[in-house]
Amino acid sequence: MISPERTLFEGEVDSLVAPAFDGEVGILGGHAPMMTLLGRGELRLGTGAGGRRFAVVGGFLQVVDDQVRVVTEQATEVGAR
Amino acid sequence: MAKGRELKGRIKSVENTRKITRTMEMVATSKMKRAQDRVVAARPYANALGEVLSRLYSSELAERFPLLRQPARQRRVAVLLLTSNRGLAGAFNANLIKEARARVAELEARGAQVDLHVVGRKGIGFFRYVNRALLTARTDITDRPTAEDAASLVDGLMADFVAGALDGVYVVHAQFRSALSTPPTTTQVLPVQPPARSDAGMQRDYLLYPSAEELLTELLPSYVRNSVYRALAETAAAEQGARRTAMKSATDNASEMLNLLKRTYNRARQAQITQEIAEIVGGAAAL
Repeated sequence: MISPERTLFEGEVDSLVAPAFDGEVGILGGHAPMMTLLGRGELRLGTGAGGRRFAVVGGFLQVVDDQVRVVTEQATEVGAR
Repeated sequence: MAKGRELKGRIKSVENTRKITRTMEMVATSKMKRAQDRVVAARPYANALGEVLSRLYSSELAERFPLLRQPARQRRVAVLLLTSNRGLAGAFNANLIKEARARVAELEARGAQVDLHVVGRKGIGFFRYVNRALLTARTDITDRPTAEDAASLVDGLMADFVAGALDGVYVVHAQFRSALSTPPTTTQVLPVQPPARSDAGMQRDYLLYPSAEELLTELLPSYVRNSVYRALAETAAAEQGARRTAMKSATDNASEMLNLLKRTYNRARQAQITQEIAEIVGGAAAL
């Protein structure tokens, strides 16, 4: 997960829910290659040890071979749940 | 011992100067480290964006995007010069200004009208001095440029380019190769030069939401802003690098000068003592 200023998160997750331009999109393992625009909202990562949440604005999301790349204009972490 | 006292004063003053330059060198070193980290941290984003753009890019699509428009003739272009707010960085700002002037002269020779936008007190000072009108003169960008700084700089230019009022935007900035090598360079930001496709093996069928066209519409401005952000970050790091180098050589010069002064002082002191002894011996012999 990358913003212009730094890399915010890198690691394995079980699931990911991102705010796409037209609604939320959820991604699990084995997803088909996809590229989509992001809107404004909350991005949730589901990891083994609970989850992490980020507020993101704009950018895009790319899925290839079980790797998700979130490239966003602005992102800040909203305290762990 | 008038000469001795004078030398002592100079030794003191050079010592004080050396203390200052050495401190500035150390401050610049640590600032450079942080600025350099930011340059490195900005790389994944730029790479990711470049990769995706080159994948989406196709010449059929290019025709339809104003940001990809390749004007046949450049009638009016903008040059954005990035300099530092503070001096004492050796030839850093002078080199940037020189590069900018060369670029402006070259563009004007090709018959373009050049708008000059300058960031940093040093560049502004110079162009004020030569009486050149600046369309933007900003000093509010700090050692830690942000993505918003970049956006505020380039968004207006992008709008002008899309509207057809501008035919090109160039950024003159310092490249951060290493602490010792920070050459000034010019990057063409608009029209966008799509990055070369890195490897064809990565070519995959993607589900694109909403469509390649709309993705490009969103991502092109990001790409332009990011180019400017990178230029800002590199210039900030290069400034500290240049300052460190300049202050290091100033410190070295001061040390060298101190050696010479101390030697001269000691020699003068010794000569005086020898003379005094000679006088006493002479006096004793006369009795």
